[in-house]
Amino acid sequence: MAHHPVEIKPGMHLETATFEGKNKVMGFWMFLGAETVLFACLFGTYLALRNQTVNGPSGAELFDPVLVAVATAILLFSSLTSVFAMMAMNKLDKKGMLFWLGVTVLLGLSFLVLEIYEFVHYIHEGHTFMSSAFGSSFYALVGTHGAHVTFGIIWISTIMYQAWKWGINTETAPKLFVSSLYWHFIDVVWVFIFTLVYLLGMVG
Amino acid sequence: MADQSTSNTQPTEYKSESKMKHIVSFVAMILLTVAAFVLVLRDVVPVAWVLPLMLGFAVIQVLLQLFTFMHLDQKGSLYYILFIAFGVMVAVISAAGIIFMP
Repeated sequence: MAHHPVEIKPGMHLETATFEGKNKVMGFWMFLGAETVLFACLFGTYLALRNQTVNGPSGAELFDPVLVAVATAILLFSSLTSVFAMMAMNKLDKKGMLFWLGVTVLLGLSFLVLEIYEFVHYIHEGHTFMSSAFGSSFYALVGTHGAHVTFGIIWISTIMYQAWKWGINTETAPKLFVSSLYWHFIDVVWVFIFTLVYLLGMVG
Repeated sequence: MADQSTSNTQPTEYKSESKMKHIVSFVAMILLTVAAFVLVLRDVVPVAWVLPLMLGFAVIQVLLQLFTFMHLDQKGSLYYILFIAFGVMVAVISAAGIIFMP
C-alpha cells in the first residue's frame, strides 16, 4: 500500500502510527495467542508425564533453586530493559534505545549460557531427552523456550542493526515494538516454567 | 483512507509513559517471584496450598507483564486483548485436556 507521510514527533506511538504498523502489532498478538496454545500443550504434556522418571533422577533431585532464581532474575530484568528500550524509542532517543536493547540481548545471552550449562549438567546426571518420559517432556518444554530465547536474541540483534542504520521511523518502529512484545512473551512463559517445572518439581 | 482513524481518533501526542509505572510493576513481579520461591523452600503453608498459591502468584505476575510491559493498558488494545484471551482459553482447555486425559 502507499506510504502516507506521518509527521514524527517525540512522544507519539510510532509503532501504530501507520496502518501497516497497526496491522503488524495486531497480527503479532494473534501469533502470541497461537504461541500460548503451543506452550500450553507442552506444559500439559510435561505435567502429565513428570513423574515417569523410570530409573533416572527426578526433578526434586536435579533442580537447583539458586540456578533457577538467577535465571529468573536475569530474564525478568531483561524484560524491564526491553520496556526501557521502547520508551526511548517513542522519545526518538536512538542511542538510549540501542543501549537498552543491547543490555536486553546481553541478558538473554547470559540466560542462554546458564541454560546450556544446566542441560550439560543434567546430561551428566543421566537426565536426557531419551532417558524417560520425564526427560522427553522436560527438554521439549524448556528446550522450546530456550529456542525462543535464541531466536529472540538473533531477531532483536538484526533489528538493532536496522535501527542503527535507518534510525527510528514508522518503518523500523513496528518491528522494534513487535520484537519487544516477543521478548516479554518469553518472560511470561518463563514465569510458568519456573513455577510449574522447577518449583513444583522441588515440592515433589 | 486507511489511516484516517489514526489521525482522527487518536491524538498524535500522548502523555509520555512514566518510567515509574514500569519500575513499580517490576518490583511487584520480583516480590511475587520471591514469594513463590519462599513458599517452596520454606514451610510457611501446608503443602496442599503451595500449588494453588504459586499459580495465583504466576497469574498475577503475567497479568502485570501483559498490562504494563506489553502495553495492553493503553487505548486501542481491545483486539489485542481479545486475541490473547482467546489464545489463553484454547490453551487452558488443551493443557487441562492433556493433564486429565484418562
